[in-house]
Amino acid sequence: MSQIARDLNLMDSHIRIVNWRNLRHLDWILVILVGALAYMGLSNMYSASYGYEGADSTPHFVRQALFLGIGTVFALIIVCIDYRFLVALAPLTYAAAILALLAVLAVGLTVKGGRSWFRVGTFGFQPSEFAKLATIFMLAWYLSRIGPRIRKFQYLLLAFAIAGVPSALIAAQSDAGTALTYVPVVFVMVFVAGCRKRHLAAIVLLGASLVPLAWMQLEPYQRDRVKTFVDPTKAPDSEGYQIIQTKIAVGSGEMWGKGVGQGTQTHLRFLPEYRTDFIFSLLAEERGFVGGVILLALFAGFLIRGLVLSEECREPAGNLLAAGCVAILAFHVFVNVAITIHLMPITGLPLPFLSYGGSFYLTTMMCVGTMLSVNVRKGMFAEK
Amino acid sequence: MLVERDKPKRYEGSPQRLRALMIGLLALYSILAFRLWDLQIIHGDKYAEASNENRLHFERLEAPRGIIYGRTEDVVLADTQPACDIMFVPADCRESDRERVAHRLARLLAINADDLLAKIEQYRKKPFTQLPVKQNVSKTELARVEEYSFELPGVYTSVRPLRRYHYGEVAGQVLGYIGEINQEEIEARGQAFKMGDLIGRMGVEQMYDPILRGRDGQLCVVIYNQSEPQLRTDELGRPVVQTDSLGRRLHQELEFSRDPVPGKSLTLTLDIGLQAKCEELLGTERGAIVVLAADTGEVLAIASTPRYDPGVFVRTGYGHERKALLEARPSPMRNRAFQEHFAPGSIFKVAMAIGGLEEGVISEHSSFGCDGYFYLPGVGRPWKCWRYKYGGHGHPDIVDALAYSCDEYFYNVGIKLGIDNINKWAEMLGLGIVTGLDVPPGSEEKGLVPSTEWKKAEFAGAVDPWERKWYPGETVNVSIGQGQVTVTPLQAAVMMAAVVNGGNRVRPYLNKTVGPDLTPLPISDQTLELVTRGLRKCVEKTERPSAGTGVEARIPDMVVLGKTGTAQVVRFKHYDNEMDIPYDERDHAWFVAGVPEEEPPIAVCVLIEHGLHGSSAAAPITKEVIEYFYSHLPADLRLAKGAEDGP
Repeated sequence: MSQIARDLNLMDSHIRIVNWRNLRHLDWILVILVGALAYMGLSNMYSASYGYEGADSTPHFVRQALFLGIGTVFALIIVCIDYRFLVALAPLTYAAAILALLAVLAVGLTVKGGRSWFRVGTFGFQPSEFAKLATIFMLAWYLSRIGPRIRKFQYLLLAFAIAGVPSALIAAQSDAGTALTYVPVVFVMVFVAGCRKRHLAAIVLLGASLVPLAWMQLEPYQRDRVKTFVDPTKAPDSEGYQIIQTKIAVGSGEMWGKGVGQGTQTHLRFLPEYRTDFIFSLLAEERGFVGGVILLALFAGFLIRGLVLSEECREPAGNLLAAGCVAILAFHVFVNVAITIHLMPITGLPLPFLSYGGSFYLTTMMCVGTMLSVNVRKGMFAEK
Repeated sequence: MLVERDKPKRYEGSPQRLRALMIGLLALYSILAFRLWDLQIIHGDKYAEASNENRLHFERLEAPRGIIYGRTEDVVLADTQPACDIMFVPADCRESDRERVAHRLARLLAINADDLLAKIEQYRKKPFTQLPVKQNVSKTELARVEEYSFELPGVYTSVRPLRRYHYGEVAGQVLGYIGEINQEEIEARGQAFKMGDLIGRMGVEQMYDPILRGRDGQLCVVIYNQSEPQLRTDELGRPVVQTDSLGRRLHQELEFSRDPVPGKSLTLTLDIGLQAKCEELLGTERGAIVVLAADTGEVLAIASTPRYDPGVFVRTGYGHERKALLEARPSPMRNRAFQEHFAPGSIFKVAMAIGGLEEGVISEHSSFGCDGYFYLPGVGRPWKCWRYKYGGHGHPDIVDALAYSCDEYFYNVGIKLGIDNINKWAEMLGLGIVTGLDVPPGSEEKGLVPSTEWKKAEFAGAVDPWERKWYPGETVNVSIGQGQVTVTPLQAAVMMAAVVNGGNRVRPYLNKTVGPDLTPLPISDQTLELVTRGLRKCVEKTERPSAGTGVEARIPDMVVLGKTGTAQVVRFKHYDNEMDIPYDERDHAWFVAGVPEEEPPIAVCVLIEHGLHGSSAAAPITKEVIEYFYSHLPADLRLAKGAEDGP
């Protein structure tokens, strides 16, 4: 494999691509924070599976624990592989991801109005999840190669194009929420890579001026979502109902919550999708403000620790990778919680570590693995 | 290999920018925390109260589907009544109780407890599945279950609307049926449809689905301790809405509830008695009967056999029957009156006569000698008239040619008209074109009246140019309704209606509110008079040996116009005795008739597939159809007639 690395003209020949001893140098602060979040996620899923109404038909809790296990294995494997090798492969993985997205557009199954799944065996696989990581690596590859040239506008635009292609393909699968996750990723990465702030401001202004155009492009149901957000009572039978019920769920948790397994809003099935996109409602209802804030604090600690790891890495690709991973997870957390507490219209993004679902759990854990992998190798680039 | 100085370096401002991001992140997450504070602490008690009161759950209220009436509202062809099912949800019943509950249910509902227990065992891994215990239970059974409901945990009743087709197989293909929408249909129809919606399939149910279906409503229902929504229902099983003393809906229910908008009812033109009679007359034969009100195009009967009962598709537990119906050939679900096309045989001569007279190639006194054999120049083999064995028809004029169905006369008319004129007149009279009957798009068969254009297009891919050319010999075949020409029984009835009503092509229709749509045709009174005379003679000339071919349809004291048709089916072998001919190779028997002088005037078409002879198989049936219709006029037509007969 070192031969491949040499051929890729990226690394010195003496660097080991796979090094199991790296496992001894993990950043324990990040690991503990991840462990705490995973614990909260699992105990919450336990309540979602076994609370109030008795045994569940499908043991979501067990499956979620399995996803955590698989995700951990993936994260550890990523830690052991030199991330620069993965970055060197990024153009290939990125191209593969784009092809997969195109294939989904052509033949994918339809799940809840969006075409985004491949079915392999009994598990569904979402290429859009894979594409998120592939794009972060591609941006890291590109930005670390161009270096200071990012200060030129055309180089900056190319970075946006790299994120724009998968984003547009996912938007074409009418999955607006996932398509939007590329926006914070590319903004954070070019920002950390040192682009001109006035360029970013120009792009933001341009984006803002395109909002009316985008509004025209939205599908009717997406426009309804925004209208429903403004006044949920206008559509009390569908998503307005969901918004009203999630607010009741969160609000009725008060300071200390109703107790684990005692959330009536969720267990009495007032709130649809309480295991996936609205899992935060369950947590806030059963554990109250205290539980909600603890969770938010854990997330903030985890994400800030990720940014610290990024800062500690002097190698540009690693520096960017960690920042990109933080950006994507931070966006998921913020949007998901904001939707649940009626600060944003419904778009359907999962909450890392808490929402039920294998593909996204895997993405989350691979992000964690990447951050750790960046960190264990930071010593190689320490200034002499 | 990169040189050390080329090695990419990270942006020197990166740490500052990352710190800025940390601050931004903290700021954003603080917003979330503040919002949580706002919802849970400041307004917490309000939401806690809301959550306590929140025992309401939505239940979909299916809009009752519109009723399909016959000609009058006292004849209900299809309606919807609530049907009650008893369901069992294993998860809501403790394991140790299940056997007791199953035996209890077995006693109450006269079912087999072991079957139920086996089913519960089968769904052990999916305890939330609603297992049907017994469907469509009677009111007494329902009352018994409800009486013991405290001892029957996990047992629920569910109400669903059941479509009933009161006349069973009668008019089954006309009415169609309803079925659950499938995934492709939801995608094709968009947002307004959900899984589980029932939509019309085939016939009137499909054609008028938007009118019949109405709009579903919803009702908030109270959740009881079992965490399952309980629909409050009245004694008929219909959901009820709580109201206050002034009849207003109680506030909390009003907020999210919406009344279902019932589907509109539909009144058809179908005379269900006549329809039943027609189907009975067809019996076990394969065939079709169409009766049109000649002045309007109202479809009084449109029978087709074999037939089917649409109720099989809406009742539960008829899976095998459904599959058998869908796979049966010929399909009993197709209405052969407009979904199949056949060579018309001699009934086509009606169109030939009108075309010939109007184009001036024949007149009242034109006569062609018929010796039984017709020759075309350059063609060695003659075309025979069906009476060739008896030396032909002598020298018939147009009236006799119709009355005796002289083939040779119409061979001559055909050659003089040419195929494109034949096509023009046949299509004008409604043959070979869709009639516009109000049935689901694409379900009406068009048939074919060939033309030179048609042949050119049809054989455009042919290698040799001669294959695209139209030959006079083909015209000769078409002249007597053989060769490429095919029509549907409905089209034949439309043609007859034009003869009866004085030269207007009607658009047949089933929904009374559609109303008549007449296209006046450029046919002179003289032509109509001649054709009418010929068709009348066909039925009324009874003296042998030269009786009309349609005398079997004669009704004393009634003017009946008629034309027989015996359409040849491809036959591979000569048979001396026609009863030896295999069924599939026997000729189709046609009879078209018109009753111009009764009220209301009607046009009739009878087709007996492989019935051998129009004169012997189809004509007697036509007679019975006409007699039945005028002796059992439906109420609304009787009233109309009475009004006209009055002072």
